[in-house]
Amino acid sequence: MTANGWLQIFVFLLVIFLLTKPLGVFITRVFDRKRTFLDPVLRPIERLLYKLTGVNETHEMRWTEYAFAMLCFSVIPMLVLYAMERLQQWLPWNPQKLGAVATDLAFNTAASFTTNTNWQAYTPEVTMSYFTQMAGLAYHNFTSAATGIALAVAVIRGIARREQETIGNFWVDVMRTLLWILLPVCLVISMIFVSQGMIQNLKPYVTTEMVDSQTVQTTGTDGKTTTQVVKEQVIPQGPVASQEAIKIFGTNGGGFFYANSAHPYENPTPLTNFLQVLLIFAIPAGLTYTLGRMTGSQKHGWAVWGAMAALFVAGVVGAYAAEARGNPLLHGVDQKASAQQSGGNMEGKETRFGIADSALFATVTTDASCGAVNSMHDSFTPLGGMIPLVNIMLGEVVFGGVGSGLYGMIVFVILAVFIAGLMVGRTPEYLGKKIEAYDVKMAMLSVLIFPLVILVFTAVSVVSSKFGTPSISNPGPHGLSQILYAYTSGTGNNGSAFGGFNGNTLWYNTTIGFATLFGRFFAVIPILAIAGSLARKKFVPESAGTFPVTTPLFSSLLVSVVLIVSALTFFPALSLGAILEHLLMHAGKVF
Amino acid sequence: MQDLVFILVTIGFFALAIAYVRGCDRLKSGERK
Repeated sequence: MTANGWLQIFVFLLVIFLLTKPLGVFITRVFDRKRTFLDPVLRPIERLLYKLTGVNETHEMRWTEYAFAMLCFSVIPMLVLYAMERLQQWLPWNPQKLGAVATDLAFNTAASFTTNTNWQAYTPEVTMSYFTQMAGLAYHNFTSAATGIALAVAVIRGIARREQETIGNFWVDVMRTLLWILLPVCLVISMIFVSQGMIQNLKPYVTTEMVDSQTVQTTGTDGKTTTQVVKEQVIPQGPVASQEAIKIFGTNGGGFFYANSAHPYENPTPLTNFLQVLLIFAIPAGLTYTLGRMTGSQKHGWAVWGAMAALFVAGVVGAYAAEARGNPLLHGVDQKASAQQSGGNMEGKETRFGIADSALFATVTTDASCGAVNSMHDSFTPLGGMIPLVNIMLGEVVFGGVGSGLYGMIVFVILAVFIAGLMVGRTPEYLGKKIEAYDVKMAMLSVLIFPLVILVFTAVSVVSSKFGTPSISNPGPHGLSQILYAYTSGTGNNGSAFGGFNGNTLWYNTTIGFATLFGRFFAVIPILAIAGSLARKKFVPESAGTFPVTTPLFSSLLVSVVLIVSALTFFPALSLGAILEHLLMHAGKVF
Repeated sequence: MQDLVFILVTIGFFALAIAYVRGCDRLKSGERK
């Protein structure tokens, strides 16, 4: 570990802290329909779009109507994306003449991008045409992010409103997210990325002569080995910068290229790397301030921010320490950091980014439901690789995905005040609302769907030598981690891959596709029900027996609830995977 | 044929999600009574 590494992590957290208030204030103004500097340009466009689509912007929705609108907004574009993938050979902007995507992979990708997961069981540059990437995948990058933010705002309204049946209008919330937040910021960010060397074109791939020719040996299906001298290399092109901005800012994470943010076209400089980690946390951090502002308890917003920051620091310190220590089995190899090298465990990492930026990126991308990667998590040390996995298992509530991080954390807040209420024998209250049996039941439904889907699919896969274990590249505990990570990433709508795992099979494409759908919709429906329930309740003034949700004690309790719920659920699986692998590594056995 | 299967399971999932919304709402109505 180096002072430079710590300084970068500290500066990152400081900038996130400084961005929280201005972003939170802006988001609040957008959803409270107060004037912003963008109104003169965007308000006429918004009105025109409502006119064209027949949306009544003054109409308010009950939570059930809000949920139906969200489901309709997801199912139809998901089917359109499926059709686009299957028909791309006849559609424009396909200079590489890429064929139709296989049915199971098309389903998996459509489900994955609709749910903001962006799990990619394929190599994008040889699978998806420019048209599919731009009109299909990028559309979902914007709309799935907008849906997440709209849902979070609806949940905040539910907490803030008193004795009302409604929580807002889904179409208006989505429209305002797209027009006021996502599109303007992505436009600016794309330009910055282009200035840093990121490409943006519709050219056919470029074939170029290699500086040093390579001798490659390949073994055919008949067992014969052939030797070939490779002198040329194909360099993929495409509209990368425009996709990259929303990939990061919308916490989508699906790369234009297979190497994702480790590819020099997707992450060309240290500045783009820093901007990317910053943009992943920007909206989720701002939304904590919006929570405080809209509910009239700014201290509560900061208390939630503090709990998230504490979990983030614990994660990044753990990942950085594990990776900087290096591999203990590499005897006689210099793994110390110096002016000449990053030191530590550099397997699967970009030399341009080194240990600190790789550990920071891995932590941020899995704290949020982003899933972009600038290093391969499969190549991390067992404990270093466990950190991203645990981050997703926590429910990605450490700042989290755009919107989903906040509404996920609110579920834990409800559980925390419920537990605090049990301790003192009083009816739990949250910002002046009594938390009753129905709210806790809905919170538990939302929390339990996550381990149910992950553990059942993982258990079935690890015992099947026919369709489960052939996809892993390492036996033993590391293989278990690969399968566990795949389902955790899918269900948590993260989308990052552990690496070393072939997810492009009928079994994994179908089941991970369903995992993404259950993880998104079956988790959020009960949360919307809680919002509807809270909006109807009367305001109860704070009394001496009310557990305050604005103090460091509350933040500590919230952190404990998040850790205990996740630890109790997933600890056995982690013990058989990453923890066992770590212990065996120190005994000299690797997988 | 496989296309039809995947389209139907997608529609089926969302139908299930709508039923889930109704179920969660009914649970609340049941508690009110």
